[in-house]
Amino acid sequence: MTTVRPNTAGAPGAAPAPAEPAAAGTAGSRGGSHTSRAPRTSRGSRGFNTASPAQTAVRYLLLLLVLLLVVGPFLWQLSTSLKGPAEDVFTRTPVFVPEQPTLGNYGKVAETIPVWTYALNSVIVAAVCITGNVVGCTLGGYALARLRFRGARLVLGLFLATLVLPGEVTIVSQYVLVRGLGLADTLAGVALPGSIAMLNVLLMRTAFAAVPVELDQAALVDGATVWQRLWHIGLPNVRGMISVIVIFTFIGAWDDFLWPLIVLNDPQKYTLTVGLQYLNGTFSANPRLIAAGTMIAFLPIVVVFGVCQRFFFKGVEEGAVKG
Amino acid sequence: MTHRRWFTPWLLAGPAIVWLAVFNLWPAVNTVILSFTNAKPLGGGRFTGLENYGRLLDDAQLADALLNSIVFMLVCLPLLTVLPLLLALLVQRRIPGITFFRTAFYTPVIASAVVVALIWGWVLDDRGLVNGLLRQTGLADSPVSFLTDRWLLLFSAIALTVWKGLGYYMVIYLSALANVPRELHEASAVDGAGPVRRFWHVTLPGVRPTMVLVSALISVSSLRVFSELYVLSNGQGGPGGRDMSVVMLIQMYSRGFNGHLGYASALSLLLFVVTLGPMLFLMRLNRKAA
Amino acid sequence: MRRIWAALTTTALTAAALTGCGLGSGDTKNGDSVASAAATGEVKGKVSLQTWALKPKFTDYVQGVIDGFKKKYPGVEVEWLDQPGEGYSDKVLSQAAAGTLPDVVNLPPDFALPLSRKDLLLDVAKADPKLADEYVAGGVDAYRFAGRQGVFGYPWYLNTDVNYWSSELLTKNGLDPKKPPTSLDELIAQARVMKEKSGGQTYLMSRKPGLGDLYNAGVKIMSDDGTAFTFNTPEAAALLDKYRDAFKEGLLPKDVLTNTYAGNTKLFNAGTVAWTTAGANYITSLATDNPTLAPKVVSSPAFATPPLYVQGLSIPKNTRNPAAAVALARWVTNAENQAAFAHLTSIFPSTKASANDPFFSKGDGTNAGDAKVVAFTSLAKAKLIQPVQVDDAMSTVINQQIALAISGDASSKQALDTAVEQCDKLLKG
Repeated sequence: MTTVRPNTAGAPGAAPAPAEPAAAGTAGSRGGSHTSRAPRTSRGSRGFNTASPAQTAVRYLLLLLVLLLVVGPFLWQLSTSLKGPAEDVFTRTPVFVPEQPTLGNYGKVAETIPVWTYALNSVIVAAVCITGNVVGCTLGGYALARLRFRGARLVLGLFLATLVLPGEVTIVSQYVLVRGLGLADTLAGVALPGSIAMLNVLLMRTAFAAVPVELDQAALVDGATVWQRLWHIGLPNVRGMISVIVIFTFIGAWDDFLWPLIVLNDPQKYTLTVGLQYLNGTFSANPRLIAAGTMIAFLPIVVVFGVCQRFFFKGVEEGAVKG
Repeated sequence: MTHRRWFTPWLLAGPAIVWLAVFNLWPAVNTVILSFTNAKPLGGGRFTGLENYGRLLDDAQLADALLNSIVFMLVCLPLLTVLPLLLALLVQRRIPGITFFRTAFYTPVIASAVVVALIWGWVLDDRGLVNGLLRQTGLADSPVSFLTDRWLLLFSAIALTVWKGLGYYMVIYLSALANVPRELHEASAVDGAGPVRRFWHVTLPGVRPTMVLVSALISVSSLRVFSELYVLSNGQGGPGGRDMSVVMLIQMYSRGFNGHLGYASALSLLLFVVTLGPMLFLMRLNRKAA
Repeated sequence: MRRIWAALTTTALTAAALTGCGLGSGDTKNGDSVASAAATGEVKGKVSLQTWALKPKFTDYVQGVIDGFKKKYPGVEVEWLDQPGEGYSDKVLSQAAAGTLPDVVNLPPDFALPLSRKDLLLDVAKADPKLADEYVAGGVDAYRFAGRQGVFGYPWYLNTDVNYWSSELLTKNGLDPKKPPTSLDELIAQARVMKEKSGGQTYLMSRKPGLGDLYNAGVKIMSDDGTAFTFNTPEAAALLDKYRDAFKEGLLPKDVLTNTYAGNTKLFNAGTVAWTTAGANYITSLATDNPTLAPKVVSSPAFATPPLYVQGLSIPKNTRNPAAAVALARWVTNAENQAAFAHLTSIFPSTKASANDPFFSKGDGTNAGDAKVVAFTSLAKAKLIQPVQVDDAMSTVINQQIALAISGDASSKQALDTAVEQCDKLLKG
């Protein structure tokens, strides 16, 4: 029987709240360390932090311990998605190893719903959001961190205020607005509100503020324009933060459920999270298929995360080590 | 920093400011207006003056909810400021398999609420993992009601929040650790400082601005806690609804066809005022540190 | 002053200035003229149908029904939208706010009520005077609302709750699955046996009482005009006291305190409890979830008056094609199409003509078939127990207060008084 189901997917607080403030400032004063682009030496990459085998063992032990604590839901979902039709899913004690492992559930998901179409739609939305956030937040963050202009303090204050501003009760009016712009039932309408997130503007501002001022000043002496300074001095030093933004934006766009559901009408345009709900239909929910669908939706996140996390340290490893 | 044309900064910040105005400030203004009405999602709003605010005063659930939110913040703030930093240090070094661990530690952030509820139920309910261990070790004769007792439910939700937040803040810390100049570590190591001393004298000062940022994020998000309590209590907020958070109340009043948008807006604004406190405190702290 | 505020609110709410439409487009139309257009107009052109969570399992069925409709009325075009189960109320709400409800839309009665109050739905009895002759009274009544004149939806499929017992757990603990409890007192007595025999490992009772249990204890839930709640009576308190004592005795798992409607099913699936209530299709879905448990389940009728669950098809007043919309709603809900639907899964038609179909009253020897027969027999005396006025927020409040009373932290009377007071407040807005 269908009953009104409470929705937790789009709930506030589920998404991480946006960021903060003036935290940035201090980082800039550290100065100097990024100036040299000398190739890294063997001492630089290893040097002081060569660990003894015992230390490495302890590190792995700790890593495994944390792994054990965090990985439960993922494992359960993975194992459910591999369980055969004759196996119980909701048992008293969770069974993590499928007795009759099968990949059939994945095939069935693809048979049941147009999973590729949905995934493509999700990719489009995520791509628009990522582009918007990387460009919009980089420009905005740079202006706030590096340029002096009238009203800058007020603008910054407003950005900070968004961290605590209430907006929980206005999702219907946001829909009416997007509809008014002619974007109802379009992927653009889905992507629009999240295309520039205030948290990311603040994160980028923090990152730019950490770039040593001396670099900018030197470039200024050389007659570099704002754009040149942003491109040649700012950007190379904030790649770590950009990758954080890419991750946050991708996951936000990929996982969002309620907003795409409200904006979209045509099932051909559904994003993956919405489309996967079809596996949870009236009289027909199969937890194995739902788990398989969730794993499919999970994979791109893992890939994006795996690729992006490499950049966390790039700035340091390439630029910061003096020969 | 100088620039030739006055409008250059506005050009750069322009898009962000437009989004700020349309998708953040406008809903907030909207909320203020709604809070003086008895509006419903399908219209019918009428000006009712301060009625909604008066109702805040004799809402018994609200007092509990505020208390819950504040307890939540006080416990989460230290835990989530420190633990993810330690975790970030643990996964910072590029050792074989580290990508796997980093990714795995991030998975709770993106796990679906339904599955999280299921797993945590297995861990915490009457015959769950924890109660099984307690019984076997003889620490408890009868099951501890982690999910139905007013305070235990709250602390279970805090544990869940910390569990979920580890990976999220770990990522922010990771990118901040990248900004701690390696040569400072090296210099310190040459001076004979051990790992612990290097942590206190090099790492900690290096990530201090980020710590302030992260604590601000945590205080805001823990005051606005919703999904963790919702999931563990099946949306019921415990017996008598004593484990509701303010956002759960806002949701309860605003969702659905009969949503009481006016009252929900007043609750929203109250929460806004409450959140300002720790934010201002942390900003001050930050200025002092600078 | 007041007018300025009203104007501001409307702007804020619907951003009407930007959209130029939104709410109100329905209000300008006269219901009677739409109804007569529906009754007399020609069935052709475009019409949209919105169902709730029927894809993909029933895709072929619905498509077949639509094809049949197109065959009967050449020149008509049907656009079918199926919305996912999750978030449906938000979806319908934003459609209603923007004035974009499809021409025929699946609304359970508790969704239809607020929309009909805003005068957004067509009174289908006006467009279709024979309605009451063709559909069972319970179904039609579900779409009549206190204080509103008319019927605001065609009743579609029906369901009710049946008692399900785990024969394995009963037998193991010295109880006879052939003689399951038939009343609360018997339930408590058998639960005691279960507790003693299993050493507190399994339970028989699996849920805290709800409005349905109060109703069956003779408590009047709401005043007839639907403007006030009345379930804080001594009988209601006595019932809660009974449950409180049983809870204290350890006859119920602690989880019941925070569980919702389907919570007992979850406990049953996990083998923690030996009893649950669910719809007629439960064993079928259990066969998917926990296949080893499904064959060990037996069913029996609900304790007193079973609850009636109704789904229906409503038509928004601002539909651009009233004639085709009414024809389509009638077509989807006609006896033939509903019977075909009911053959696919354990739901029941709301058409009178289907009542004598032997398919429903004869089992097929399986326990799922037995449950279907039990449900079908129960349906005859099933009633809409939960008033449609009870929305999510009220359900939450009622659940919270009943849990408080069962846990013993407040007296039953106190808890019921609080629940009634808060629900009344929510009701008034």
